[in-house]
Amino acid sequence: MVTRQRPRSTRLLVVVLVSVSLAVITLDYRQGESGPLAGLGDAAKTAMAPLQRAVTNVTRPIGNFFTGLAHLPTLADENDRLTRENAALKAQIARDAYLRIQNEELQNQLGLEDTLAPDPVAAVVIANGLSNFEWSITINRGSSDGVALDQPVVTGSPDAPMLVGHVVSVQTDSADVQLIIDPRSAVAAVLTSAHERGLITGQGDADLKMTDVETGTEVEGNEPVFTLPYEVAGQPGLYPPGLLIGVVSRTVPSDNATQEYVEVRPAADFATLQYVVVLQARTGD
Amino acid sequence: MLRRVLSITAVVITALLLQSTVFADLKLLGVRPELMYLVTIVIAFIEGPNEGAIVGFAGGMAQDFLLNQPKGITALTLTLVGYAAGLSRQYIVSASPLLPMILVAVGTAAGIAFYQVVAFLLGQLDETFTYGLRVTLLTAAYNAVLTPILFPVLRRVTEGSRPTRVVRF
Repeated sequence: MVTRQRPRSTRLLVVVLVSVSLAVITLDYRQGESGPLAGLGDAAKTAMAPLQRAVTNVTRPIGNFFTGLAHLPTLADENDRLTRENAALKAQIARDAYLRIQNEELQNQLGLEDTLAPDPVAAVVIANGLSNFEWSITINRGSSDGVALDQPVVTGSPDAPMLVGHVVSVQTDSADVQLIIDPRSAVAAVLTSAHERGLITGQGDADLKMTDVETGTEVEGNEPVFTLPYEVAGQPGLYPPGLLIGVVSRTVPSDNATQEYVEVRPAADFATLQYVVVLQARTGD
Repeated sequence: MLRRVLSITAVVITALLLQSTVFADLKLLGVRPELMYLVTIVIAFIEGPNEGAIVGFAGGMAQDFLLNQPKGITALTLTLVGYAAGLSRQYIVSASPLLPMILVAVGTAAGIAFYQVVAFLLGQLDETFTYGLRVTLLTAAYNAVLTPILFPVLRRVTEGSRPTRVVRF
């Protein structure tokens, strides 16, 4: 039952709470990453991480079971297809091994540094972003494991890493990773066969958007897109070069040439992401 | 009183946990529900504008601190949503069992829209207008669908912890 309340005191309460909210918005807006509010945020995340880990440990197998059931009819077909693909890939790998040796020799001659720094940190995804306006994941590794702000995060095998995103917040035993599908994410990228550069931004659950591609570039369907090395004022970019971002899904022409863009389907499957690897950020030299 | 604070804190934490784990995989047309909006509106519906505003503020602030976005916007939104939902309950005379669902749907849609307007004014909204509209409508629908399941639970929690009234002479 609704109890009768004195309206004036309720109104005063709302005014106070709204004022506090506005004060927090203003403070946070001015302070950004540092300051007491960021500290409070870290504390809240540190407290939540073990709980999220526990819930995910319990619910993930159940979720996987139901996902498996739902996909049962298509599994036989998929099995066939994967067997054929596997054979083709084995042949490809053999060829790649040869190319890699050749590539390594050439790189050594050119004095290029190894792009994947040693000691990557493997992590389990324990939670996803809370809101419909944030595409992020929480992982079970934090500063105690050597994870630091801005480090790139990948998934897949060590030989064929697929870009996932970068670390945006670190606590002792957990860290938040902004996914490349988040509209706030931007990645410098290069089209493999066209050798054209562009900027990839997220569009949420839709395919990624690659802009600033030279107009008139011939782009093929399914063309792989990789991260591009770049430097701004001597500072290297967030992502090491050569990480697979995705494949071209379509090009969007328009009457205005400057508004053309390429859509890229991410290589990593963000809906079922469970394991990731955090790479050490490259230091400027 | 302490028992009440503890039980509502437990509700808020559970909602945040479910939102970031289970419901991240249970998406409806690519959109997850907004449990904190649902909790705020239902508690405001049962307990009135005072509690609605307090739970909205606390839950919103907790959610803000777990996001990597400007803090305080969800708290501001949910304070107003809780207050408005509690207030509207006092003026609507209807015993329809659909009323909580309708209130949750309208409240969620209004709240999500308000959130986006504030984020836009702060220059923090990077999503397209169509995505925003889709999220507004789908979260409202999703929350409304979840209301019949969560309403009895929340009513039990709030009424079970309500302080017994002591009449003094």
